[in-house]
Amino acid sequence: MHRHDVVVVGAGLAGQRAALAAVEAGKDVAIVSKLHPLRSHSGAAQGGINAAVGAEDSVDTHIYDTVKGSDYLGDQDAIEFFCRSAGPTVVEMEHFGTIFSRGSDGQLASRPFGGQGFPRTIYAADRTGLALLQALYERLGTESFTLYEEWDLTRIVVGEGRVQGIIAFDRRHGDFAGIAAKSVVIATGPAGRVYGRTTNAHSCTGDGIAAAYRAGALLKDMEFVQFHPTALLESGILITEGARGEGGILKNVNGERFMSKYAPHVLDLASRDVVSRAIWTEVKEGRGFPGGYVHLELMHLGRERIESRLQEICDFCRNFAGVDPVTQPIPIMPGQHYMMGGVGTNIRGETNIPGLFAAGEAACVSIHGANRLGGNSLLETLVFGKEAGIHAAAHAEKASTTEIPNGLVEEETALIRGMSERKDGEEPQHLRAEMQATMDELVGIYRHPNDLTEALRRIRALQTRYQSVRVVDRSSIYNINLTDALETGHMLDLAEVIVIGAIARTESRGAHARVDFPRRDDVNWMKHTMARRTATGPELSYAPVAFTRWEPKERVY
Amino acid sequence: MEAGLVKAPIEVYRFDPTHDRAPRYDRFELELAPHTPVLTALLKIRADSDPSLTMRYSCRSSICGSCAMVINSKSRLACQTPIGPELERHGRIVIDPMRNMPVLRDLVVEMGGFWGNYRKLEPHLIDNPERPMPEGRPSSMSPEEVERFKETPRCIACGACYSACPAVEHDAAFPGPMSLAKLYRFVVDPRDGGQRERLLKIQPGGLWLCLRCHLCTEACPKDVRPSERIRDLKEMAIALQGATEHGSKHAVAFKENIRERGVLNEFKLVRQTYNPIEMLGQVPQGLKIRRKKPEITQTPKPIEGLAEVEKLYEILDDEPEATK
Ligand SMILES: Cc1cc2nc3c(=O)[nH]c(=O)nc-3n(C[C@H](O)[C@H](O)[C@H](O)COP(=O)(O)OP(=O)(O)OC[C@H]3O[C@@H](n4cnc5c(N)ncnc54)[C@H](O)[C@@H]3O)c2cc1C
Ligand code: FES
Repeated sequence: MHRHDVVVVGAGLAGQRAALAAVEAGKDVAIVSKLHPLRSHSGAAQGGINAAVGAEDSVDTHIYDTVKGSDYLGDQDAIEFFCRSAGPTVVEMEHFGTIFSRGSDGQLASRPFGGQGFPRTIYAADRTGLALLQALYERLGTESFTLYEEWDLTRIVVGEGRVQGIIAFDRRHGDFAGIAAKSVVIATGPAGRVYGRTTNAHSCTGDGIAAAYRAGALLKDMEFVQFHPTALLESGILITEGARGEGGILKNVNGERFMSKYAPHVLDLASRDVVSRAIWTEVKEGRGFPGGYVHLELMHLGRERIESRLQEICDFCRNFAGVDPVTQPIPIMPGQHYMMGGVGTNIRGETNIPGLFAAGEAACVSIHGANRLGGNSLLETLVFGKEAGIHAAAHAEKASTTEIPNGLVEEETALIRGMSERKDGEEPQHLRAEMQATMDELVGIYRHPNDLTEALRRIRALQTRYQSVRVVDRSSIYNINLTDALETGHMLDLAEVIVIGAIARTESRGAHARVDFPRRDDVNWMKHTMARRTATGPELSYAPVAFTRWEPKERVY
Repeated sequence: MEAGLVKAPIEVYRFDPTHDRAPRYDRFELELAPHTPVLTALLKIRADSDPSLTMRYSCRSSICGSCAMVINSKSRLACQTPIGPELERHGRIVIDPMRNMPVLRDLVVEMGGFWGNYRKLEPHLIDNPERPMPEGRPSSMSPEEVERFKETPRCIACGACYSACPAVEHDAAFPGPMSLAKLYRFVVDPRDGGQRERLLKIQPGGLWLCLRCHLCTEACPKDVRPSERIRDLKEMAIALQGATEHGSKHAVAFKENIRERGVLNEFKLVRQTYNPIEMLGQVPQGLKIRRKKPEITQTPKPIEGLAEVEKLYEILDDEPEATK
């Protein structure tokens, strides 16, 4: 059996930052990750990371923009802490070796991003996530810790009112093992693959969120799903908001710059939910291109600017859509992009289970509230990754040794191996595809109560069918058919929580737009949704939003 | 067949060491649009016909570096390779696991050696006493300094260059193109204080095993140009400590040699590259060559246009960038 003080699950920015903090606190730390750390989805972030470091800018405006962007569902104490940490975090990452883009004065360059008063998004060409991930990985590599590379978390072990460790299996050899830990940090990243049209990687299946939920952790605000306005039509690959920051504009089939109707002041740079809904409306009202999409135009920026500032996007369009953005408009539609919700934590990364922490996109602190601002989530991974690491180490300092109860690993192994021993039953990829179609079709940008009810019915039916899911591949080596099955099970749980939360929330706020309740309802709904797992499905309760200085106002851009 | 689709015969390498005695190729017939990436085709095979086909993949947007494999004999990212041009050129698509790494199963290879070589080169900033990090502020970097990184920050560590590299195949001491491109990235980083030590270590550490075939640069899906950065490292290493390795001595001798007579003086080249004892080891090879091509082992006469050659050298002395 393996044993460590702190086990961090996930090796993206949040997980690595948590591990670094815990190692620096002198703890025996392990990272468990289903991907090699450098393959984590953080590396795909293009646009940048926010920090109010410019001369004109101020931390207060960053706080205000984030509070407003969150549609007043973000916890203001957490947001204040978060924005104050931004400058030092970016400086630290620069000192770790991040190769940021710079101005002619040699200082860090920044670009404007949607929903923010100042150009405060610091970037590294259009591969900011990759630049940060590399630098952090290289910095962490100078410390000593154990890496369980290509190991999949399958269960968080909780007993005697606290975390005892995890169960995971080694993809490369197929062995299951218990890893005892005093503290466990969930940093498993996004769950975007609950949807079919998503900007997220195939690996973004919310495993850690689901495992925490199954272990008794409360999930927070799961109904808030951000759609990115500009995903490439077929593949869902993201075209960064940076493209609009650099001057890209959206046009409908009539050649109209339609954002002037929806956000007359900031136009194409309005907050994501505003732009996504605008595109959706254009297409629904018949002003989309045949097949249902709109154009993002960069041509007027000129070859030089496009190729130097938006190089990855050029590659994406040329490679994956057969379109050259220098001479042609880019066909785009909104796609699932970010889950504001996740494992509920406080500002220290603590969940409701002693010893269980969460950080990054898998967590919900909440600083994004009902809608995240671009550039805030990379920052979140680092700021709250570090906090979670510090407090996980502190918890391990006080906590006594834990054990994985006898027989539990065998039980888990038998359960999962059982999927491969079935003679009949459905294959996971089919269940997954049906779930994704359901979520795309019925739980999208605008939410209709009948659609939501239907979605719930279908998801529950899929859950039942999942009971007899069948893994065809019998090999013990790199069996991704098995991981498909596990991931699908996780996502079905999360889909159910998303839908139930969306049905209950009878208002429109941020990314949650109910057609039957088009207005924000601060009297009844200025509160976080908390979902707890029961034998019959999620049980909802609500928690207050923390306010400090900012009174709710209507959000106009 | 639906309009706009093409027939795509795909042959995939299959091997499971727990079941199979030998590798085989499974053949699948698909109908797909020509711009469909190979990864999408493989995922379709997994979804529709054989879920046991295994491989690594994640981002499907050529940024995570998971899906490198050998497609029609070239090391590439599956998610970045559209099927259309492959079919036009080869009539079918043959997919193998990456080379130079042991196969775990199907298209999944063991990359421990690759990562190990990278870690060995200490890929992290080393304190630079001459240019300490400013307290509480980011360091400043002039546009010229930023320029020196070249394309190296784009590297996604996919391993395609490593798979394509004959030097890796030939000699386990060669760190591989990706690691050297990474090393270059640290050597030119003004924040890094390890430049000297890095260069001193890498001269005997395999730098000169690079064969200058540029296959890595050809394979790189992110246009990082590892072979060009390896060349830069070689130049920097010679500038720092002179020619100390066979490889660097050979390079320097080559340059002087041509300047002297306009053609290679093979015998002198050997003398300048090896010490007397090592030269003994070259004797059998030398005798063999003498038997086959006696003119090579004789001192050549200077060529006619030697003055022109000298002019070229003068230009290069003034303007070393002109070679590039
Ligand atoms: C295309 C795209 C562009 C973006 N651009 C920006 C941007 O410009 N600015 C910004 O601020 N934000 C951006 N975001 C959002 C941001 O990138 C993510 O929210 C953030 O990187 C998430 O980091 P993370 O560390 O939480 O998770 P990830 O980086 O996704 O890491 C998750 C880790 O968990 C591991 N893992 C998952 N499941 C398991 C399991 N079962 N067992 C073991 N390990 C597991 C994975 O291997 C991985 O290492 C973007 C997102 C996308 C999709
Ligand atoms: S799947 Fe990420 S590089 Fe191809």
